[in-house]
Amino acid sequence: MTPLARRRATRLGLRLAAAVALTLIFMFPIYWLYMISFKTAAEIYSFPPKWYPGTFNLDTYRVLFRDGDAATVGNSLIVAFCSTALAMFLGFICAYSLARFSTGGKHLANWIISQRMIPPIAVVFPIFLLYVWLDLVDTYIGVILLYTAFNLPYVIWMMRGYIMDVPRALEESALVDGYTRWQVLWKVVLPMCRAGLAATMIFTFVFAWNDFIFALVLTRTEVATYTVQITHYFGGQSNFWAKISAMSVLGTLPIFVATGFMQRYFVRGLSLGAVKG
Amino acid sequence: MADLHISGLHKYYGDVHAVRGVDLEIPAGEFTVLVGPSGCGKSTLLRAIAGLEDADKGTIEIGGQVVNDLPPRSRDIAMVFQNYALYPYMNVFDNIAFGLRSRNTPKSEIEPRVRRTAQMLAIGHLLDRYPRQLSGGQLQRVAIGRAVVRSARLYLFDEPLSNLDAQLRDEMRGEIKRLHQELGRTMIYVTHDQIEAMTMADRIVLLRDGTIEQAGTPLDLFERPATRYVAAFLGSPAMNFIDASLVAKSDTLALRLSDGATLALPQRRTVNLLNRVDQPVVLGVRPEHIGRATAGERPGLARYTGSIELLQPTGSRTYATFNLGGTRAVAELQAHDVSTTNQQIELSIDMNRVVIIDPTTDRVLS
Amino acid sequence: MRSGQGATFGERNFRYLLVMPAIFVLLLVGVFPLVYLVMVSFQGITMTETSTDFIGFANYWQLFGDARLWQALLHTLIITAVALPLELVLGLAMAQLFLDRLPGRAIFIALLVLPVVISPIVSGATWALLFDHRFGPINQIIGWFMGRETILLWTINPSLVYPAIIVAEIWQWTPFMFLLLLAALGNVDRSQLEAAAIDGAGWWRTFFRIVLPAIAPVMTVAVLIRGLDLFRLFDIVWALTQGGPGTMTETISVFTYIKGFRQFETSYTAAVALLVIVLLSALVMYLLKRVELAR
Repeated sequence: MTPLARRRATRLGLRLAAAVALTLIFMFPIYWLYMISFKTAAEIYSFPPKWYPGTFNLDTYRVLFRDGDAATVGNSLIVAFCSTALAMFLGFICAYSLARFSTGGKHLANWIISQRMIPPIAVVFPIFLLYVWLDLVDTYIGVILLYTAFNLPYVIWMMRGYIMDVPRALEESALVDGYTRWQVLWKVVLPMCRAGLAATMIFTFVFAWNDFIFALVLTRTEVATYTVQITHYFGGQSNFWAKISAMSVLGTLPIFVATGFMQRYFVRGLSLGAVKG
Repeated sequence: MADLHISGLHKYYGDVHAVRGVDLEIPAGEFTVLVGPSGCGKSTLLRAIAGLEDADKGTIEIGGQVVNDLPPRSRDIAMVFQNYALYPYMNVFDNIAFGLRSRNTPKSEIEPRVRRTAQMLAIGHLLDRYPRQLSGGQLQRVAIGRAVVRSARLYLFDEPLSNLDAQLRDEMRGEIKRLHQELGRTMIYVTHDQIEAMTMADRIVLLRDGTIEQAGTPLDLFERPATRYVAAFLGSPAMNFIDASLVAKSDTLALRLSDGATLALPQRRTVNLLNRVDQPVVLGVRPEHIGRATAGERPGLARYTGSIELLQPTGSRTYATFNLGGTRAVAELQAHDVSTTNQQIELSIDMNRVVIIDPTTDRVLS
Repeated sequence: MRSGQGATFGERNFRYLLVMPAIFVLLLVGVFPLVYLVMVSFQGITMTETSTDFIGFANYWQLFGDARLWQALLHTLIITAVALPLELVLGLAMAQLFLDRLPGRAIFIALLVLPVVISPIVSGATWALLFDHRFGPINQIIGWFMGRETILLWTINPSLVYPAIIVAEIWQWTPFMFLLLLAALGNVDRSQLEAAAIDGAGWWRTFFRIVLPAIAPVMTVAVLIRGLDLFRLFDIVWALTQGGPGTMTETISVFTYIKGFRQFETSYTAAVALLVIVLLSALVMYLLKRVELAR
C-alpha cells in the first residue's frame, strides 16, 4: 500500500471506530429503557444492576393492558392523528394563499411565525381557564384543537416554502385548461409537494404524540395520553420502573418504526427546516 | 516553472474508465490546451495533475518530482476554477492573499505582491469589494489573481471562460494569453471550445474518450490531422466529408464521387495512396477551400458544378450549402458570389489542401 | 370554460377563504391567551380569592420582588448557557465525522436520530432510571472507573442535579444539531474547498475561514431554535427533579406551572406568563435584528 493509501485507511478506521462508539453511547439509554420493560421485578431492583434481562418477560405489558393503561396510547394516537390531519389541511391551504398571493403581506407571515415562539406554559394556562369555562377540559376536541393551533405555524411555514418551489406554470396551464383554483390546489400543487408534505407531517405528528405539558394540564382521565400516564408511575420514594419503562416502550416504538420507514423524509425535513427557516 | 511528465495514467470512476492510459510530455514554460468534448476526460486529467483526484495507475511528475502521493498543497501548483471558487466571506484582497497567508508569507511581502498582481489584472480598484459585488469578468480576474500571485511552478485552468458571455470571453482569451507571455510559466488550460484552443495554445492536446487523439501545435492539428475526428473537431464551420473512391486518371489519382464527378489530385498528394486504387475512401475538404471558380486552370484546383440549396450570409462571407457527390457540403464563398438558391454555380476545390481518410480506420492517409 | 361569466364569490376571495380557517384557529392560541392573560393579571384571583375585581398593578409589583421567580429565570439561563454551546460543538464534531463516506453511514445516522423523536418526558424518565442511585447503571460505570463503589445522588445532590439535567438535554438534542449541521456542511461549495487545498490551507484554516462562514446561517437558525426550546424547558426537569431539590432546578416553566396549577395563584401566574412572553419576544426580536445586521 502506498503511504497515502495507508494514511487514508487509518483515518477511515478511526472514523469508523468513533462512529461506532458514538452510536453505542447514544443508544445505551434507549437500550436500558427497553430492557427494563422486559425484566422481572427482582432483576430490576438488583444491585449491581444486571445488564441484560434473564428472560424475555412480558408481565409488565400484560399488567398495562389489563389495567387499561395501554389505552392511553390509543388516546395519543387519536389526538395526534386528528390534530395532524387538521393542521396539515388548514396549514396547506393557508400556505398556498401566502405563497402564491402573499396574502396579508409580511405582517401576516411574521405574525404566524411569531406564534411558534410562544412558550407553551404561557399558552396552556389561559387555555386551561378558557376550557374550564367552556367545559372542554379532558375532551378530545379540546386537546386536538390546541395541538392543531400549535402546529399550524410550523406547517404553514414549511409548506409555504415547498409550494413556492412548485413552478407556477403548472398551475397556470391547469387553469387555462379549465380547472378551478380549488381543483388546481388539490390536483396539481398537492402532488408536487408530496415530499415536503411527508416531512412536515411526520414532524407535526411527532410533536403532538410526544407532547407532555399540554396533555398534563388539559386531560384528566378520559383523554390522558401516554406521556401523562408515565408520570403517574412516579412515586415520592420509589418509581414503578417497570411500568414507566413499558409505557415508554409503547409510546416510543411506534414512532421509531414510523421514522425508520420515513427516514429520508424525516432527515430532509429537519435539515430543510433550517435552510428554509 | 516546471515541466510535466505523465505516463500510463488511468482513472476510474466506479465502472467508468475516464482516463485510459494517457502519456503526456509538457515542456516547461509552454501553454498547453487540453481540448475535447464533454466526457473526454480532460477535466479528470487536470484534476489528477492538481491532486484533487487520485490516479489509479500511472505516474505524474512535475519538475522531475513524482507527485502521485502528494496532496494538492504540496505540489506547488495554482488553479483557476470554472466557477471561480472565490471565498464569499472575504474581500478581493483577502481572496488573493489567502494562498500567501496559508504558507506563512511574511506580512510585509503580502501587501505589495497582492497589489501588484491586482494592478496587472486591472482590478486594483476592487480590492475592498466582496465577490457578490463583482461582475463575471471581474470575478474571473480575481480568480486568476489568486492563482498568479503565488509563484507556482504549474498553472492549471479548468474551463475558466465557460461561464462568461461571448464578448467577455473574447476579451479574456487575449488577456490570459498576454499573461502567459508576461509570466512565462507552464500553463495547462482545459476547454471544450476549439477556438480557445486554437488561439491560445502553444500545443493542443485533443482528447477523446480518455485517450489522446492527437497532440501538436494548433496548425499541426489543423492542417495535418491524424484522424477524421481531429479533422472534424477543429475548424468552423466543420470540414466536409464525402464518400468517394480512388481511381486512376491520366498520370495521377482522382476521386470519383457517387454522382460520377471526378476530382483530380495533385501528384505530390498521391504518394501514400498508390496502393489504394479502386478502394473507397473519404474525402475531407474544408469550406474555406471550396470557392467560386474563376477563369483559367490553376494547378490543384478541381472544378465542380453544384446546385445551391441554402445560403447563410455572415456579412463578408456567405456559406453555401450544396450537394457534393451525394452529401450535403458547405462552401465558403464571397458575399456576392451567389445571390439565390437553386442556382447552379461552378465551384473550385483546392485539392492541395484536402485530406483523404481511410473509411475503416478513420485515419488520415494523406 | 368559464369565460363570459363573472367570477364567483369563492373565486374572487379565494385567497382569503384559504387563510381564514387557519387564522381563526391561530387566534385561539395567539390572541386570546394574551388578552385573557392581561385581563386576569390585573385581577386578584388566588386559590382562595375568586372575586374578579381589578386590583391594578399589584401582581406586577409582586413580580419584581419575587426572588424565586428571578432565580427560576437564572436557572433557565444557566442551563441554556451550558447546554447550547455543548450541543453545538458536539453536533458539529459529529457532523464533521459523518460528512465523508463511511461504511454503514446511513444506519449510524438512522440510529443517532432516535433520541430526537422520543418524548422529552420519556427522555427525562429514562435518565432518571439511569441516574438512579440504587439501580442505575451510571453509578455502576463510574464505579468501574473509580475503582470503588460509587453512590451518587444525581437527582438530589445539589452539585449533581444540574449536570444530570444538562446531560439528559444534550443526549436528546445533540442529534438534532448534528443533522442540521450535517446538511449544512454537505452544502458547502466543494470547489471553494478545493481552491483552499490548492492554495495551501491546512485543515484548521479551511475550517475557520471557509466552512464556518458558509454554515453560519444554518448554525444561527439552529441556535435560535434550540435556544428557544431550552428557555421553555419543562419535561426533562419535571421528570428528573420536579424542580428540586427545593427550588434549585426550577426553570421558569416549572415555576409557572407550580404557581398556576399547584398553588392556584391564578392572577399572579397570569402576570408571570405575560412576563415570560414579553421577555421571549424581546429576546427573539433582538436576536433577529442582530442576524439581519450581520448580513
